[in-house]
Amino acid sequence: MEKRLLKLKVNGQEYELYITPKTLLVEVIRDHIGLTGTKRGCETVSCGACTVMIDDMAVKSCSILAVQAEGRHITTVEGLERNGRLAPIQKAFLDHGSYQCGFCTPGMLISCEALLKENPTPTKEEIREGIEGNICRCTGYNSIVRAVEAVAKGDYREEGT
Amino acid sequence: MSKYSVINTHVHNVDGIAKVTGRATYTFDVKLPGMLYGKILRSPHPHAKIVNIDSSKALELPGVIGVVTGKDTLGIKQGIWRRYQDLCDEQILPVDKVRYIGEPVAAVAALSEEIAEQAIDLIEVQYEVLPAVYEPMEAIKKEAPEIHQGFERNINVTRHIEWGDVEEAFEEADYIREDWFKCGGQAHMCMETRAAVSSYTPDGKLTVYHSTQAPYYMQGLLAGVLGLKEGNIRVISHYVGGGFGGKFELDGAIFCSAVLSMKLFRPVKIVFTREEDFIATKRRTPMFYYVRTGVKKDGTFCAREAKVFTNGGAYTGMGATALYLTGFFHSFPYRWKGYRYDGYRVYTNTLPSSAMRGFGAPQAMFCSEQQIEWIAADLGLDSLEMRRKNAHYTGYEVPDQATVGSCGINQCFDTVKDWTKKKGKLPGNRAIGFSAAGFMSGGIFNWFDAPYAFSSAVVTINNDGTVELHVGAQDIGQGSNTTLAIICAETLGVKVEDIKVHSGDTDHCPADLGAWGSRQTLMAGNAVKMAAEDAKRQLLEFAYAQSGSNIVYDLDIKNRWVHAIARPERGYDYAELVKKATRGKDGQRIVGRGYYTPHRKGMISPAYSYMLQAVEVEVDKETGRIKLVDSLTAHDCGQPINHLGLIGQLEGAFSMAAGYGYLEYMPYEDGKLMNPNLVDYKVIRATEMPEVPVAEIETYEPEGPYGAKEAGEGLTNPTAAAIGNAIFHAFGVQMKECPIRPEMVVNALKEKEAMGEKGG
Amino acid sequence: MIHDFTYLKPGTLQEALSMLSDHKDECKIICGGQSLLIVMRQGLLVTDYLIDIKGLKELSYITYDEKEGFKIGATTTHRMIETSGLIKQRFPVLIAVEKRLASIQVRNWGTVGGNLAHGDSSGDLAPTLIALGARIKLASSKGSRVVPLEEFYTGLFETALGKDELVVEVQVPPARPGRATAYEKFNLIRNDQAIVGVAAAVTLEKGGACKEARVVLSNAGVTPIRAKSAEMVLIGKKLADALLLKAGEAAAGDADPVSDIHASEEYRRHLIKVLTKRIVRQAWEQATHL
Repeated sequence: MEKRLLKLKVNGQEYELYITPKTLLVEVIRDHIGLTGTKRGCETVSCGACTVMIDDMAVKSCSILAVQAEGRHITTVEGLERNGRLAPIQKAFLDHGSYQCGFCTPGMLISCEALLKENPTPTKEEIREGIEGNICRCTGYNSIVRAVEAVAKGDYREEGT
Repeated sequence: MSKYSVINTHVHNVDGIAKVTGRATYTFDVKLPGMLYGKILRSPHPHAKIVNIDSSKALELPGVIGVVTGKDTLGIKQGIWRRYQDLCDEQILPVDKVRYIGEPVAAVAALSEEIAEQAIDLIEVQYEVLPAVYEPMEAIKKEAPEIHQGFERNINVTRHIEWGDVEEAFEEADYIREDWFKCGGQAHMCMETRAAVSSYTPDGKLTVYHSTQAPYYMQGLLAGVLGLKEGNIRVISHYVGGGFGGKFELDGAIFCSAVLSMKLFRPVKIVFTREEDFIATKRRTPMFYYVRTGVKKDGTFCAREAKVFTNGGAYTGMGATALYLTGFFHSFPYRWKGYRYDGYRVYTNTLPSSAMRGFGAPQAMFCSEQQIEWIAADLGLDSLEMRRKNAHYTGYEVPDQATVGSCGINQCFDTVKDWTKKKGKLPGNRAIGFSAAGFMSGGIFNWFDAPYAFSSAVVTINNDGTVELHVGAQDIGQGSNTTLAIICAETLGVKVEDIKVHSGDTDHCPADLGAWGSRQTLMAGNAVKMAAEDAKRQLLEFAYAQSGSNIVYDLDIKNRWVHAIARPERGYDYAELVKKATRGKDGQRIVGRGYYTPHRKGMISPAYSYMLQAVEVEVDKETGRIKLVDSLTAHDCGQPINHLGLIGQLEGAFSMAAGYGYLEYMPYEDGKLMNPNLVDYKVIRATEMPEVPVAEIETYEPEGPYGAKEAGEGLTNPTAAAIGNAIFHAFGVQMKECPIRPEMVVNALKEKEAMGEKGG
Repeated sequence: MIHDFTYLKPGTLQEALSMLSDHKDECKIICGGQSLLIVMRQGLLVTDYLIDIKGLKELSYITYDEKEGFKIGATTTHRMIETSGLIKQRFPVLIAVEKRLASIQVRNWGTVGGNLAHGDSSGDLAPTLIALGARIKLASSKGSRVVPLEEFYTGLFETALGKDELVVEVQVPPARPGRATAYEKFNLIRNDQAIVGVAAAVTLEKGGACKEARVVLSNAGVTPIRAKSAEMVLIGKKLADALLLKAGEAAAGDADPVSDIHASEEYRRHLIKVLTKRIVRQAWEQATHL
């Protein structure tokens, strides 16, 4: 299959890639760019382990052709921290033990981040609906909900903001 | 004030930064130079002789590097119950015949996953299809096809547990009830599917990255089946995306990748698709339970008799243990004058069933706790009081079986009663169901025939006071790295941040039986405590020498502060002492060693956890849809060690147990799994979870480190029964099959109505 | 693995239609790909050409006109519909349906055109839109045509789309006085596919009797099913428990559900009975308060 040039912006960084058009966005992120934080856990767009943000929207990168993401701004879990400083949602996850095996965590963090970007003060119900597309087999979700509530409450607001 | 500085405080998981920043590298992520991608060809037949395998077309495909079949192996039948050769019945890549749909038949290694997938389709296999059998009650018939040679009636394992005079005990009973139950299977559904990268090099050494719960078991099993020395095999498993009992046996990924690599001398990676994970990794054991229970009219338990047939599937795996534990925990947490259990594990041509969180106890409780509820209703007794009357207590001896070290079940009853009372009267379609349970903290019976101590640990103190903790215990998300770091820090007198935990590498870590059977907090915890005490003693030798104080004064280290216990304000920094001690030892680091193997604790477990759970369920009477509304669990795990980890484990156990109770249906048709994907196999999601508050009951387990025992597996046991009991209290119907699906509820209600009409 | 294809990315609708016309027998359209890529990955769908219309912004719109009603472009995402104030005002049922469709991730990228063209009889949008009397606009290089949505579905995953045609727009007639629409699906997990689903649009006369009714079933046959017998039961009558029961039974009779691992045919009919009763009541009560 013929390859083509693809320019992708991931976590603020421009990448030039040479890929076949059938390459999935998650494959480009993991295998071509080498950001392995984003995972895969199914073949049916069910589990959410592959969740990334495209222009602040949470999407499942396993069911998007990489070529469709050209010109858009992609954020993966690696893009949440800034110069080693964790994002509020990451700090909240640490404080509330909102992960165990950690495999669903990158996708889960992105879903939580996208949810808070759109709705900075979600209700408990809205949080549960916001992560409905992400399966976690370890935590039972409640510690994740607590972490998002803590961020929404302002527990991680930076000093001076 | 807590007597502990670190234990049961709010400590971040030591792997936290790696996991929340995407830096944690799982076997799923491993890439080695020159690595090939492997795919497995699987049997489409439930039972067939392998007549011929022609891989020539596959080998001709550009990019295909090699193909292996059973003929490329030593043909050794392996199994994790190594002590019993006849239960070692699985070749993984079979030579002669296949016994379940999905069993590996050949494996290909190629330059890319895509090429490997294409190559699989080019391998031609000639089968001679044999008659197959799928249900245990069919497989034990005389005319059923023989699945393994030498196993009459396809009976793979039998287990018998008995105490007291059962017939006499039944005679004493005023009321006897018998019921049949059907318990389904369940898939582990780890977020990380089975994955392995094997690399065999010309020096005869094999390195394997494996998503596993037990690196040492993998090392031992691979040595046996590949004809290598254990010492020439290295198993690496730093981050594991979930295990839940499914990852401490050899699987197709590790075995096929190793065989391929040994043939091709290149690293080979095999990652299962989700579909493969569903159809070709061992599952929770489906069981048919017959229970007959006799009680006095005041609710005193007299006798119980249980007969269980389990669907073992095609191979033994850990099925023998599940068969035993289900029968043992079916008696928990109650005293029986006479108890008899007969378990039969039957081979069938379906996916082998093995170990899954709870290990036979969820099935046992589904039957026991529901029947107990029905007996209480039949006799007009308060079911909680009836349970309390018969419950275990500290020091109780299960006749000929076990001694209960610590038991907090009694305190659980009042907590749950208060909660229920506060709920008041519930609307007509809501009810609360109870279930008690108990579980083990690690098993004693060494069926693996491990020559090493069950757990070991090494504590090495660097000159700057930081500590290297080497353990063989495996963190699969349950937080053992953190729990053990906490125990080490508390014992040594430092902070958790001072500890660096090394685990998941057989080259650098001591042997440990691994993460299963809820054993690590107690067993590895004891080993770590011993190692840290050893290191601390060596440090304090130098402190004593320096202080020259009166012999009656004891020194200690707490919060990095070396001091006399009687005069804690006078002391100095622990780091100073470390420097002195290191110099005193001629520049050698202080090294402490610890290990633990349970001795003279019976043959089951050194300690038992206890719990009582109440679940509030809402049932739509017309559709049968079940909604979990609220819950409370009173839980005795001895001394909690890792506070955040404990809550996470308990909430997570609930989600998996609830799934077993009402969601995770795993139907087979003619040996084929009908829903091998996450659309049709229902796993609980955030919108369905209720709050899962846990009331910790404080007890002290003398056998556990700082009084701790298991948490996280025991809580998988009660929920299915509690859901069933809630439905019973809401509508008076008895749900004898799990998972309890809405259609079953509607049918039960229809049946009840019809009977009511007949009764008139 | 996804089989190879030639990837075409039209810049305009006209380009897309001309590509379709050139390759009509050997091409497939991809938009959000939330359903398509699953079957392509399984190797169940193989195509020589894949025409990617996801980027066609000219098909991404939600407009409302008092006379014409809603016009929703085919590449409009589910999420755009879910968050549309315009739609919330006039057809809150569509918001409710979207909120329970798959997941936020799928709704952020998947499109209404892709969803409807896929032809899944267990979908939620199609039955609801049919209850609203929606029409679907199909375009080809030769022109365009508008088809009532209920005539669009012809069989199991089969639609009336010609080989050279593209779904370009969904049209929903304006809200009618006295009419309310509701949808409910039965499943085990909130946002899962319907085991069965029922959409009901009830229009009341001033006196409170039912003037018009539309009852549409999801996952009750190879296509969304208009439960016409159920509708006949309701027309001209006033709200009553017995009426709703009868409507439910009629709907169950109109259904042609399968037995699968999620539910037997009998249980599906039972659920249709129950859901029809409930949803018709819900729509009726909403209409009463209009």
